[in-house]
Amino acid sequence: MDALSVENLCVTANDRHLLENITFSIKQGMVVAIIGPNGAGKTTLVKAILGLVPYQQGSVLIFGHPIGNGDLSSKVGYVPQKLEFDRSFPLTVSELLHFTVPPAFFLPFHKKKQEDEHIHSLLEVVGAQDLKNRSIGSLSGGELQRIMIAKAIVNDPKILFLDEPASGVDIEGQERFHDLVMRLNREKGLTVILISHDLNVVYRYADDVLCLNRKLVCNGKPADMLTDEVIKSVYGEMMGGYIHSCHDHD
Amino acid sequence: MISEFMAYPFIQRAFIASVMVGIICPFVGNFVVLRKMSFFSDAISHSAFAGIAVGALLGIDLSLSSIVMAVIISFIIAYLSERTSLSHDTIIGVAFSGAIASGMLIMGMMKGYRADLYSYLFGDILAISRADLFIILSVGVLTVVTMLAFLKSFLQITFNRELAQVEGINVRFFEYLLFFIIAIVVTVSLKIIGIILVTSLIIVPAAAAKNVAANMRQLFSYSSVFGVISGIVGLAGSVYLDTASGPTIVLVSIGIFIVTLLKSRTV
Repeated sequence: MDALSVENLCVTANDRHLLENITFSIKQGMVVAIIGPNGAGKTTLVKAILGLVPYQQGSVLIFGHPIGNGDLSSKVGYVPQKLEFDRSFPLTVSELLHFTVPPAFFLPFHKKKQEDEHIHSLLEVVGAQDLKNRSIGSLSGGELQRIMIAKAIVNDPKILFLDEPASGVDIEGQERFHDLVMRLNREKGLTVILISHDLNVVYRYADDVLCLNRKLVCNGKPADMLTDEVIKSVYGEMMGGYIHSCHDHD
Repeated sequence: MISEFMAYPFIQRAFIASVMVGIICPFVGNFVVLRKMSFFSDAISHSAFAGIAVGALLGIDLSLSSIVMAVIISFIIAYLSERTSLSHDTIIGVAFSGAIASGMLIMGMMKGYRADLYSYLFGDILAISRADLFIILSVGVLTVVTMLAFLKSFLQITFNRELAQVEGINVRFFEYLLFFIIAIVVTVSLKIIGIILVTSLIIVPAAAAKNVAANMRQLFSYSSVFGVISGIVGLAGSVYLDTASGPTIVLVSIGIFIVTLLKSRTV
């Protein structure tokens, strides 16, 4: 079964086409990168898939079900591009993760203990055990990204959407972040859909790449798809030479 | 002197009311402060004023008419914020002015001076009846139980609306529920503290708690403690100094806010 199936998706805002007839599908367990210049509609595409932006035409199925299906939410994890929240919110990392576990009013003691252990193991997975009692507002960009990954996978999702998750994080932090995501992909069979501006990241980690510029320009293996012609058509002439440096880097 | 006064049933009722409102208002106020909705709760209290005027004009129960009007206006604000490109601030500003103007217009149309209507403007904690206490208690219990039952959902939405939606929370339903709860709590607190100052009792103890709380557990505990201290000390102070109870309670809560602000700056 396809983890994600998008057909003829069109998104319009103020009589302007943000996305036109986008069609693609993604198999379970794949890592797929979405690339494109600023304003190409990458974030809009992810938000439309997640039901955060309304679409005027087309269909989106996640594991065969339309978004908005109550059971689906537990299968989907999302790390947004810029997390907007009040930095003075007196909320600890542990509390944030506890809130994400589905609500239970009268939680028996043994269940509460299970929940605590689950959150402890999640923090271990993302290498953030020492951040458990830290306030969310006091975290650095890299620390916050790791916690947002932990939050996104707290309910054991099957598909993870990452919208430029490593932007604003230093190079070492980016490496750690991508390694973590790839480990989750390998160990948990998590399908990963990653928006990235960094073609090195796409070459290194993605099984497939979707090139977007309001329309779907290409869809396939990075080595086959990211040709000079495609890069020029997506990013313009200036980026044409970049592709060679990526190949050379490999 | 206070102990002598405590022999009077109306003073006992006033203290019980101030403790109850001191717990309920800041409990809801935490969400108002975290979501930066202070102006919203002000608009709701002034909608209740319009409701009171309409109730007096039609000869129906003033508490009922104020609750209905506050809920209607809060839902209109929520609906317009959702469906139009107008800013939340603008919508609240229009609703706020509209409610005040309507209330004043209707009161002006009524013949004679209605002291009972104007008592809603400033509140009268010493006039609280046993029936009022029962209403405050019922609303308080329902509010706290409802919010605790859905605490995770309310907090998720407060932290980040989009993430909450992706995680399967019915954001729209819980936002309307929160607006409904704020409207009810504001309205039942009017008799005690008055339309003009009720927002202070919702906002100030919660804001003071936010200054010093390190986590959510502390935020909820401190805000209720600060609310109760403001109620008891403010009421006792007003009895001792022979001042108006509502403003005295609010000034005590502002004193607590200043202390917590200074403490947060020194940490």
